[in-house]
Amino acid sequence: MLEVRNVTVDFVGLRAVDHVSFAAEKGQIVGLIGPNGAGKTTLFNVVSGLIRPTSGSVVFEGQDLSRLGPADRNRKGIGRTFQVVKPFGGLTVLDNVVVGALTRGQGLVEARQTARATLQRLRLDRFADTIAHSLPLALRKRLEVARALATGPKLMLLDEMMGGLNPTEVNETLSLIQELNAEGLTFLVIEHNMSAIMRIAEKVLVLNQGAVLVEGPPAVVTRDEQVISVYLGEPIESA
Amino acid sequence: MQLVLQIVANGLLIGGLYALLAVGLTLIFGVLRVVNFAHAEFMMLGMYGAYWLWSIYGLDPYVSVFLITPVVFLLGVAVDRLVVQRSIGKPDVTVVFATLGLSILLQNAALTLWRADIRSVSTFATGSVFVVGGVRLSVAMTVSFAAALLFALGLWFFLTRTMYGKAIQAVAQNRRAAALMGIDVKRVYLFTYSVAVAAAGAMGVLVAPIFTIFPRVGQTHIVTIFVIVVLGGLGSVPGAVVAALLVGIIRAGAGFLIGTAWGELAYFAVFLLVLIVRPQGFFGRRGAEVYGG
Amino acid sequence: MRISDASPISPAGARIAAAAALVLLLCVPLVVRDIYRLDLGITVLIWASLATAWNISGGFAGGLSLGHAAFFGVGAYTSTLLFLRLGITPWIGIFAGAVLAAMLGALLGVITFRLKGPFFVLATLAFGIVVHIINVNWRGLTRGAAGLLLPFRGGPQNMLFLNLWAYWYTGLGLLVLTVGVSMGIERSRLGYYLVALREDEDAARSLGVRVVRSKVIAAAVSAALAACAGSVYAAFIQYIDPDSTTQFELSVQIALVAIVGGMGTTFGPVLGAAIVIPLGEMLRARLGGGAALVVYGFLLMVIVLTAPNGAIAGVRLLVRRLRRLIDSRRKADA
Repeated sequence: MLEVRNVTVDFVGLRAVDHVSFAAEKGQIVGLIGPNGAGKTTLFNVVSGLIRPTSGSVVFEGQDLSRLGPADRNRKGIGRTFQVVKPFGGLTVLDNVVVGALTRGQGLVEARQTARATLQRLRLDRFADTIAHSLPLALRKRLEVARALATGPKLMLLDEMMGGLNPTEVNETLSLIQELNAEGLTFLVIEHNMSAIMRIAEKVLVLNQGAVLVEGPPAVVTRDEQVISVYLGEPIESA
Repeated sequence: MQLVLQIVANGLLIGGLYALLAVGLTLIFGVLRVVNFAHAEFMMLGMYGAYWLWSIYGLDPYVSVFLITPVVFLLGVAVDRLVVQRSIGKPDVTVVFATLGLSILLQNAALTLWRADIRSVSTFATGSVFVVGGVRLSVAMTVSFAAALLFALGLWFFLTRTMYGKAIQAVAQNRRAAALMGIDVKRVYLFTYSVAVAAAGAMGVLVAPIFTIFPRVGQTHIVTIFVIVVLGGLGSVPGAVVAALLVGIIRAGAGFLIGTAWGELAYFAVFLLVLIVRPQGFFGRRGAEVYGG
Repeated sequence: MRISDASPISPAGARIAAAAALVLLLCVPLVVRDIYRLDLGITVLIWASLATAWNISGGFAGGLSLGHAAFFGVGAYTSTLLFLRLGITPWIGIFAGAVLAAMLGALLGVITFRLKGPFFVLATLAFGIVVHIINVNWRGLTRGAAGLLLPFRGGPQNMLFLNLWAYWYTGLGLLVLTVGVSMGIERSRLGYYLVALREDEDAARSLGVRVVRSKVIAAAVSAALAACAGSVYAAFIQYIDPDSTTQFELSVQIALVAIVGGMGTTFGPVLGAAIVIPLGEMLRARLGGGAALVVYGFLLMVIVLTAPNGAIAGVRLLVRRLRRLIDSRRKADA
């Protein structure tokens, strides 16, 4: 479904992503882990089109996306959230989600229905009329997902959804991901919460200094010595 | 050939004077991330200061500059405390229109207090000319140019060689990191703003014998200064100096070749083009236009 | 759509209030006989339209333009020149001006959509100045600083009236047009896109919002409406020159009116014109032009520093308090 081919991103004096290639099959949940500054978010920006790679390409459902901007990529079926949440702060929670529904060509009335249904699904309906910037962080993160879901994506990029959540909220989020995944949504998930990602991911990519260090099933990755050394020798607790 | 030299010389002289204004404006942007729309108003105040001290006490601008500059510095402290500092971190509309409002206020306060009359200051240098290699140079211009250059050099020395200057640079690079390192960011803002507008005030005093003085005089120059700092890259001090000299020459040349009005049009068109094609200017860091807000 | 602070007025309530206001405005010439006041009223209507036009790109989309006088000028000069040179009535000229301004606005939108904050402001400022310089110096077309005088030929069919009340209704028609378009956009797909782009461009793009298209449409509509205001202004004053149409100060004042009233809302700019224009007029009469502008500058500074949501936010707060008061009375009665 998604193929990242030999992508390199150079910032001034810094190689953020270094010849990264990987693929995600339809229906998979792929985890993306690595220490801070490993290039995970940059890679997300390349896939969603916010950054143009220095070289390499992104192929989605057999189509090269290189010439498409973020809006068109979203319309092809790529949804995403942001690590540093970006709500439309001055709008209500409902209107935030309406924006997502509108870009799918729905009329205003229909878009509101879609938005309400999406909010319900994410248990945000109580906050429909709340101004987005007054939501607590955990709910703002959920709003990010709701907004992206309203665009009806086929592939969802989640950037550190679990950061700052308590264990109950983490479990809720995990079951939501699995639920959506069961309905056919493919996931690419950046996560710092190692035990969480190991529980749901089918495949895990470890990024270090912009390059892929290891790729494989969670059980294999957690035992990999290189990975352990990158994480300062701490053995990774796995589920 | 003689003509070309003459144009280049005139352009350099005027460009050097602009540099003093432009360096301050670009410094304020680089450190505070504020476009100081009121910048040229401080020049105007400097000009009036020079005029009144000259007409009442017969004080020569080359002397009164040492009195007026500290006063404008203090005015800068007050403005930073009351207006600029309160706008930082607020939405774009606040940042832009706070100093724009200040500019309208100062311009018209001057208009109300001192009327629209056009005034001028004459000194020992007024009207006299000296000739170097066939090129005629105005003595007043040259003296002011030299003084402006001294000021600019002093500023540069201060920025790069003193602890305080280095603190300012650190804040310009990354205000959060600077704050973590224990630098009092607010004080750096205060100091930067006041020094920069004091430079504008000093420039006003220095050009008082050359330019005519009237309440809206700032406005006739501010846009040229914008052109300069954008060309040089908003936030880049060396860029501002080079661009100021360049714009001075282009202005002089275009004014001679195609007339003042169309010459002006030409460099605004260039300005617009630069903003669109290379908004970080020729010396600015790339990305400044993205994080510039 | 709810922006900034939640509106206490339901959309239906706002519509009723707008309709009531319109009826009142329709009655004004029947009540106000004083020529000076009616004249001021017409000026307010034109400024309200102009600020509303600015607000579509400046408020909804967040592109703070300091070059809108250019579009106002294009409108004023296009309809006037078509009338003077070709005898075409301003009723048609107004559309020609709007189309021309829309094209210019779209062009400016295309070249500036990438720019943020101060860079966008400076680009629009430069654009406005370029248009002003052309206006002053292209004497063959505009007669430069000498300006253009509209001869009183033909009367109503040429948007030239003997009675002020006729101008009042023309101005009111202009206001209904601009506010109508503004309301339409606020409640449309485009309105949502513009606000989303203003609030966070990257997030909006990632949700499928197309930046260039949305911003360019907003810029074109905004420019076209500003041009309409220009044409009406020219027919009303019957004399235009660069200083009264394309000057930088004018661009500042357009933004100022919208900001004082409350940018990003439909009725904020209208409220802004109702406050700023009479206030300016009064100050000018009492203190003189310079002192009036001192107050303008001060007002602008204080508003953006202390109440960036403008006067309309205060009105909303008042309505909300009143409502709560009425609600609690009702409960007490029951």
